Order: sequence, then C-alpha cells, then structure tokens
Amino acid sequence: MNKSDLGKVHAALPRLVEDLEHGRLKRRAFLRTATLLGLSAPVAYAVAGTITGEYPVSRAQAQEPRHGGILRTSMNIKDCSDPAIYDWSEKGNVARQVIEPLVMLGPDNIARPWLAERWEASEDLKTWTFYLRQGVKWNNGDDFIADDVIANFTRWLDPATGSSNYGRFAALRGPDDGDPMLDNAIEKVDEHTIRFNLRTADLALPENMTDYPALIVHRRFVEEGGNFVENPVGTGPFLLQEFAIGQRAVFTKRDAAEYWGPEIYLDGLEFLDHGDDPAASLAALASGQVDLLYRLFSIDQVPAIRQRGGIRLYEVATAQTGVARMKVTEPPFDNEMVRQAVAACIDHEVLLDLAYQNFGLPGENHHVSPVHPEYAEIPRPQQDYDRARQLLAEAGYPDGIDVSIDCVAQPTWESNTCQIIAEMVRPAGINLSVNIMPGGTYWDRWLTAPFGFTSWTHRPLGVTVLNLGYRTGVPWNESSYSNPEFDRLLDQANGTLDVDARREIMAQLEAIMQGDAVIVQPFWRAIHTASSDRVQGFEIQPAEEHHYHGVWLQEG
Amino acid sequence: MLIFLLKRLGFMLLTMLVVSILLFLVLEINVENLATRVLGQFSTEEQRQIWLEENGYLRPIYIRYLEWIGDMLQGDFGHSTRFNVPVSEILFDRLGNTGLLALCVFGVMVPLALTLGILAGMREGSSMDRSITFFSVLTTSVPEFASAVFFSAIFVFALGWLPGTSGMAQGFNWTEMVLPVVVLVLYGFGYIARMMRASMAEVMQSPYIRTAILKGLPYRRVITKHALRNALIAPFTVIILQINWLLSGVIAVEYFFSYKGFGALLLEASLNTDIDVIQGCAIVAVFVAVGTQTLADIGYTYLNPRIRFS
Repeated sequence: MNKSDLGKVHAALPRLVEDLEHGRLKRRAFLRTATLLGLSAPVAYAVAGTITGEYPVSRAQAQEPRHGGILRTSMNIKDCSDPAIYDWSEKGNVARQVIEPLVMLGPDNIARPWLAERWEASEDLKTWTFYLRQGVKWNNGDDFIADDVIANFTRWLDPATGSSNYGRFAALRGPDDGDPMLDNAIEKVDEHTIRFNLRTADLALPENMTDYPALIVHRRFVEEGGNFVENPVGTGPFLLQEFAIGQRAVFTKRDAAEYWGPEIYLDGLEFLDHGDDPAASLAALASGQVDLLYRLFSIDQVPAIRQRGGIRLYEVATAQTGVARMKVTEPPFDNEMVRQAVAACIDHEVLLDLAYQNFGLPGENHHVSPVHPEYAEIPRPQQDYDRARQLLAEAGYPDGIDVSIDCVAQPTWESNTCQIIAEMVRPAGINLSVNIMPGGTYWDRWLTAPFGFTSWTHRPLGVTVLNLGYRTGVPWNESSYSNPEFDRLLDQANGTLDVDARREIMAQLEAIMQGDAVIVQPFWRAIHTASSDRVQGFEIQPAEEHHYHGVWLQEG
Repeated sequence: MLIFLLKRLGFMLLTMLVVSILLFLVLEINVENLATRVLGQFSTEEQRQIWLEENGYLRPIYIRYLEWIGDMLQGDFGHSTRFNVPVSEILFDRLGNTGLLALCVFGVMVPLALTLGILAGMREGSSMDRSITFFSVLTTSVPEFASAVFFSAIFVFALGWLPGTSGMAQGFNWTEMVLPVVVLVLYGFGYIARMMRASMAEVMQSPYIRTAILKGLPYRRVITKHALRNALIAPFTVIILQINWLLSGVIAVEYFFSYKGFGALLLEASLNTDIDVIQGCAIVAVFVAVGTQTLADIGYTYLNPRIRFS
C-alpha cells in the first residue's frame, strides 16, 4: 500500500509514514496511531515492517494448532448481569467470549478493528464514521446491524444507567455531569454504517471502544430482560452454558459456520472460581486442575513459578498502577499544601523496590505511563522532607498531622505500598494509619474516602485515563479533582493527532497534576500470569483481557 | 426427663431469639449501605431511596424483624446480593458440602482419636502413651492454615500426588477431599484423644477395674466390658461439640482449599456485605451451636446414670 492509498484511508496517514521513515515516530506509536485512524492491524504492521524491517512473529505459528479440548481458567466469577455497568476485568472476560467489542485491544496494546471493520475520522477528529462488519450473526439468528450499536451507545450515555462509558464517551454528550447524549451524536448512515458527531475532538474514540464495559449487547437487550447471564445473546465464538457466581462459567464453542471471526481451536471454556486466596489458584494450576490463571495475584509468586517445571510464566509491561489519591474536597486534603507535603515525602524508586520487587517503573504522580505514546518526560518528584515540613507548617500543621488511608487487603502489594508510604511520610510529621479492609468494603467507599489507595487497570492511551479519572464531574473522578485549565488542555490533547504535539500538551497536563498533588502514584506495574505447558498461543494482554482466538491445547 | 427436655428446648429457643434480635439490629441498622451495595457505586441518592422504599426498608425496624423471622421460619432467608439468587438456594447447598466434609472428618477422626486415646489411657506413662500424647499435642498445636500450607507444599507442589483445590468443579472427586480431611483430622483428633486418654486413665485406676483385674477377668474383657462405657462419657460431649466446629469453624481450611462450604460462604458474604446471606448463615450457625449443645447435654445425661432428675 503506497502513501496515496494510505491517504484514502485517512489524510494524516502519509505524514505518519514520513515520521516513521525519518525516525520522528517510534514503530509502536506508528502502529497505534495508524490503527486508530482506520488502518487494519496487519496492514499497519506490514507498512511498518517495510520501513523498519521488524515483522511480528506469532508464537502460535511455531506449531500446527490442534483442535479440541476444554481450556480451564482460574478466575473469580462475579455478577455479570449487565455489561454496561461492569467494573471488573473478570466480568469482561466472562462476557467477551459471547459478546464482542467494536474495537479490540491486542496483546501488543494496539487497537484493531473487530465488529467495526474500519473507521474514518475527519481532519478535526470530531466526526468519525464507523463501518460495521457485514455478515455477523447474533447467536439468536439476527443480523448484527447499526441499530445494535446505537442502542448500546444510547444506553451508556443515559446517566440513569450508571455506566462508566458515560465518562469514556463524554464527547458524545453535554459538557456537564448529568447531561444526556447530544441529539445528533450518533447518525445511522445505513444498516452497517454509523457516524459519530463529537462535541469535542477525541483521538481515543476507537480505543475507548475496547474497554470491557463497551462490549456490544443485542439491540433488544433491555426489552428481553436486561440480563446477559439469563439471556446470553452475542456475536462471539462461544455460547454460555452454565453460570454460577463464585463457582463457574462454562462455555461451548459456537458452530464455526455461524461465527464470523478467526478460527477457534478450543471446544469449550471453563472459568473456575477458586476464591480470593492467591495460593488456591496457583495450587489448582500446579496440580493440573486448571490450565491457565486469569493472573498472578501476588508478585511473590513469580519466583516460585519460575522455578517450577511444566508451568509457563507470562509478563507484560503495562499502564496498570495504583494511586494513593487525596479527595480535594475533604479536609485536610482540601488544602493543596497538605497534599503537596504528602507527595514530597515519597521516594518512588524505593517504593517500587520494596513493594513490587522492581517489576515495573517508578511513578511520577500524574497517571501518564511511559508505555503511553504521548507520555512526556518531565522531572520526577523527589523526596524532600524539608519542603514537606515547610508545606505542612504553612498549611497550619506545624506540629504534624494525623491522617488515615483506606486500602484493600488483597492483593497484598496494595496494602504493602500503603504501609511503606506510611513509613515514608512519618519523618515529615505525617502520622498515616493504614486501614486495610476487605475488597467489598473498600469498593463501597472508594469514591468517598478522604484518602484511599485505588488500583487502576491498563488503558492504552494517557488521555483515556485522564478523561476517566480526573476530568471534572466524571463518575470515576475519585479525588473530586476539578481544574478548568486541566479540562481545557485535556480537550486539546483529545483533539491532537500528532503525537509530538500531543506530548507537549501532555507535559503541561502532567505538570499540573504534579503541582496540584492529587495523587501519589507509586509505580507502574508489570503484570504476570501463568499457564501449563499444554496451553499454546495464549498471549498476556496488558488490560488482562483474555482472548482465546489463537489458543489451543497440546495433547497430554 | 420430659421436663428436662422441655427446659433444654425452651432455653435453646430463647437463645436463638435473643441472638436473632441482636443480629438483625447489627446488620440492618445501616440500610443506606445495603442500597449502595445493590444498586452500585454510581447510584444516586434518589435511586437508593426508591429502592429502599420498594423493598420495604423504610418501615419500622420491629415490623421488618417480625417479617424476617416469619419468612425464615417458612424457609425464606432473603436474596443474596452477591450471588443474585435466593439465600436458601446457596445456603443449604453449602451446608450440604460442609456436612459431607464434616462426615468424612468424623468418620476418620472419631475412631482414630478414640482408639489412640484408649491405647494411651490403658497403660498410663508407657512409651505408647508418651508417643501418642506427643503426637496428638503436636498436631493439635499446629493451626489448620499452617498445616494446610505444609501439606499442600508437599503433596501438591513437591510430589504432585493430590489436587491443590477442592472446589469439586467436575463433580465429586474423593481425591479433592483428602487434604482438607487430613488437615482437619490432624487438628481436631488430638483434643478428643487427650480427653479419651484422661478419662480412660481415670477409669483404669478406679477400684472396680482393679477388682475385675484381680479376680482374673481377661484384660481385653475388662477394657471392653467394664472400662469403656464409663470412659466414653466425658469424650462424648467433646465429640458432639466438634460438630459445631466442623460446620462453622473451619473457614480457614475451606478458604485455603477453595472448598465451597458453609464457612467459606460466611466469609465471602462478610467480605461482600451480603446482608441476607450473613443473617441466614449466622442463624444456622447459632442453631447448630445451640442444637449440638442441647444434644450433648441430653446425651450426657442419658449416658451417665448417676445424673438423676427430680
């Protein structure tokens, strides 16, 4: 495909190719941006390969795949009734075997077309046209059409639904919290074409469609009961046969002739719940009761896995992290200087080493990861106790201050991190007590606690995270942060295609977040999972999505 | 005897009534929290109020309590917010699983503990007595969660002989029962064995046993015919009380081996603020505790003829 052909897909693509050729753009950033602009992933890889000489090699191609077998995965089974309000990756992993997204995030952290075959964006990134894949059938026999997608977006953008997509697709609704979807936000061009008219430019629209609450349910989902488990209608490769919260989810392969997608080698899937004890799932894998783990819950398990034969370890660098976020509306954290004092006590390298055995990268208190393409390198916050004490004194606490932080008991790296933070802030006169509580209790109060430690999953773009967690009024803005200048720059970043230009804006956003000291972000986590040697073709994905399209089981 | 039985049953009902009131008050005072749990984090205050109204949570607490007790007496334990099914559907399933585990443990533990206790108590101070005493004290001193890790490390990770979890995902599999049963037997048997030993040793020193031996009765006959019946009275109470422990006190073992039992259910419900399940489990646990206590009292009275009723 030459540059003029690329220009037909999107006007900006030839410039991207030039940037790659001249070394102004890294291969990974090219792949990501090109696929976002509608170039299919294989073509993007091919174009990048002709320039850089690097071609992807799939491990699954090394051997001839074997058909058959049931893949058993250890994973918590939670209530999966309504995909629109999913709040755990595990829920997404159950549902995505039956229902699928418009755009899928691959193991390489690059979005690729899925139920949407391709898309085009206007120059100003405010108008996006999505061409849906034709010939896709729901497992109830209906055709997959534009009405399905419109019904989903309409529901997500109804504030009453309570979906996190309300923040994710904020450009399709009014600017204020509680505003409904804009009248002309979604146009049905024909049965398989949809046009999105955005209030503000949003580069990440396709990538936002990869997240687990954006799995597409049937257009009559609500009319037919609004319960995915009871009425598991989907376009995906598997059929849900059995589902019991806290126990299991069982799937059989859908008739190959009915499924539009890549060949499926497995006859079926079983997700088995082994509870919250990290040792239980590992014991199940070691004794052959399961073939694959959803993830390794404890970093302490990595050395044990490495020493054990017959088990394969998977590792990937991610933008997963945890943030010790301070609620800017609650005393004493409504005082900026208190927050800055807490941040000034932190040594991120030491935190990473002590709490996470150096599996990752140090954080910088702005929630934009070095794996994000638009990450801008700005000075990392340094530990400075003199400054911390001075800030506390100026804030009216010359004799120190007593505060507490809430966190979950499992996984242990979260509570360990909080304990180390508590030790780090003590010399400055901040007596931080750590309230370790069960997950259920914490997640009931994660939006209201004055000081809490919340884990955040991977998102492919930095702007996505900032839109979800730090824009004024969005549901997941757990720190109640509100800064008009920040929101304005974020809008600007959302509409900036050029990675270098976007990086400059991100540098300002990162600096604002550091200055406002909304979060202490200790580090970026590498994540791990493990499987038996029988499992072939599985690739760990940074958002912990489990896709089984290329997965097969060796005999034995 | 009848008056005694009625008194025990009356006391049992009274205990359960008091516990049920306390339980209801503790768990149902914060209904706002329950609404948030059911409707999700993004629910509005208005949505929560509507839900509370629709589900009757805004009525006076004594009316709700009486209704709750009435429903429970008819087998309706409410609805689980975590499992999204009626509580009775999971509660009795899990109770059945734990009952099965308890039965297996009992089947091994009681004969083993009694045999070792008798052997140790027959000749107090012998090398067999000392060996059995040492072994039973050792195993009972190690908490279940520690021995679970220890046995798992050996039999699952090192030798690969046994399955690591006991979720029975593919239906009942006896190999999955081995580790939880072994861990519980080792923890629980020492207590009964020690009690049996002490009781046996005491009986063996009593004059009527000395007389039986001196008049030339075979030693085996002295043990089986004369000593055992009296020696079994004290351990009986301990054995009956183990039922209570096995049904609601083996949370750590069920959790570690991912066994879908009653204890694990109670833990999961507590971690997820699943109020109806907590209430149901707690009431059943109290019933089991009070019931086994009553059974032990009655059994003890029956076994010991020295206790008379006036």
